[in-house]
Amino acid sequence: MNPQFIMDGLIAGAIIGLGAVGVTLTYSILRFSNFAHGELLSWGAYLALAVAGALGFLSAGLTKPIAPFSFGWALPISAVIAIGLTGLLALAVDALLFSSFRRRGSAIIIMVMASFGASLALRSLLEFLFTSKPAYFTKALQIAMKLGGGLRATPDQLLMLGVALVAVVTVHLLMTRTDIGRAMRAVSENPALASIAGIDVRRVIRTVWFLGAALACVAGIMSGLLIQIRPYLGHDLLLPLFAAAILGGIGSVPGAMLAGLIIGLCEALAVQAVGAEWRAAVSFVILIAVLLVRPRGLFGKAS
Amino acid sequence: MTAPILSTHGLVAGYEPDLPIVRGIDFSVSSGELVVLLGPNGAGKSTFVKAIAGLVPIHAGTMMLNGRDITHVSPHRKVAEGLAFVPQTENVFATMTILENLQIAVAHLPKAKRGAAIEALFSRFPDLAARPSRLAGALSGGQRQMLAVARALALDPPVIILDEPSAGLSPKIVSEVFDMLKAINAGGVTVLLVEQNVKAALAIASRAVILAEGRIAHEGLPEELASDPLVGKIYLGTAHGHQGAPA
Ligand SMILES: Nc1ncnc2c1ncn2[C@@H]1O[C@H](COP(=O)(O)OP(=O)(O)OP(=O)(O)O)[C@@H](O)[C@H]1O
Ligand SMILES: [Mg+2]
Repeated sequence: MNPQFIMDGLIAGAIIGLGAVGVTLTYSILRFSNFAHGELLSWGAYLALAVAGALGFLSAGLTKPIAPFSFGWALPISAVIAIGLTGLLALAVDALLFSSFRRRGSAIIIMVMASFGASLALRSLLEFLFTSKPAYFTKALQIAMKLGGGLRATPDQLLMLGVALVAVVTVHLLMTRTDIGRAMRAVSENPALASIAGIDVRRVIRTVWFLGAALACVAGIMSGLLIQIRPYLGHDLLLPLFAAAILGGIGSVPGAMLAGLIIGLCEALAVQAVGAEWRAAVSFVILIAVLLVRPRGLFGKAS
Repeated sequence: MTAPILSTHGLVAGYEPDLPIVRGIDFSVSSGELVVLLGPNGAGKSTFVKAIAGLVPIHAGTMMLNGRDITHVSPHRKVAEGLAFVPQTENVFATMTILENLQIAVAHLPKAKRGAAIEALFSRFPDLAARPSRLAGALSGGQRQMLAVARALALDPPVIILDEPSAGLSPKIVSEVFDMLKAINAGGVTVLLVEQNVKAALAIASRAVILAEGRIAHEGLPEELASDPLVGKIYLGTAHGHQGAPA
């Protein structure tokens, strides 16, 4: 068996993991499955593409690749801006849609259905604005480097793994060491108690939307850079995202990342062992197995 | 009696819009008092204090804290304005450590003052200081109650409301809790205490209010209520009221 599946799996898994951290945070604090989370990945990628395009238009030098990577300064700069814009997009969707349901104390199923609607609308809007033709951050080709042990990776891929690692460690430290992190965990456990403990629950909810969207944007850009950008980019990752969030244990940031890597590796293994058409089944099987055997996942709190 | 520090006027509150549980309560606590709120199960005691804390929708009426209208102030702002509340159940963050529970409680203070505030709580509640990294969910009932009270006292609130802090505790711990409440009150904090433990509560109270079916049914000095057999029988579910107030 070709060991390269490990590298492919880690990269796919890092993207899934970053998306799953957002899913696990929004799920544990807003208490509903946000099926529009995938669209935040797609929007993140397209927003970065649009900003990078504009930057390249202003100064062609920004698109000149920074050795050894395939992209110029336009991409990291636009990534930072796109993270902010994706966060604002999530806040806008919450303000227009979910917050009114929250105020009315609507049932969870209503929030979930609303998120389906939001997913459809956001995706259609992307197709309308950018068409469904695949787009790319860069046309430059990269040669994979030999890493030893039969593994090969491009500099872009290694950088993305590093970015994912830094992002997850940062979010984990934020959750465990800071006021806002403790406040998020408190709201996730008991919103009423959190409010009488002095926590501004609405501010926490805004923070969670922003944070989840920011991570989704990073994941979307990673996927766009390493594969391609399509309006269905995030939607097609939805099942792996939820499988990873549940396997990791709802609310656990390291759990979501680890589970994302596990799912990425299992997918890559399945592709090599039984064929590419089975990739999509992997998440489904893992999701069902976790729900049956250990519903609280790897690091979930027993309820 | 001094001016009321906390008061409600015609307060109507409940979980559903057309189903009032608290049905028009005019109530006030003066600074320094320890008022005990009694009444049968389902009388609406918890709903009343949760409404004051901002956890139950207000249908009508107003409430004032320190001369300020706080009827529609959000719960976390009420905390910042000096109203502390210890709910009847789920009153600590079970999935977080003792220290984290207290860190949340002092988050309203400037960063430089938080350490000292937590130290002060630890010296007041030495049981909690022993192992601050323990999960609150792993504490005994009594320790949990201590943590909940410590959390509520973190900002030195002028008013603290406690909903049945002695529920489910062993008699020895119950008397510790009541001693603690007495000490808190003696330290100048106004206390509103919901209790089922009538005798012990009346023993430390400066005034007692009895709630029934969402309204105030009786109000008076603890010794009057304790010695009124009718009150004892109807509202407190105890036939021993005539034995008089414990000293
Ligand atoms: N979360 C809730 N949603 C809807 N109704 C509730 C809720 N909590 C309490 N009630 C109802 O409100 C009424 C008063 O309940 P409440 O808990 O205020 O009584 P209580 O006086 O505190 O009783 P206890 O002594 O048992 O604690 C009851 O009829 C109860 O069924
Ligand atoms: Mg009660």
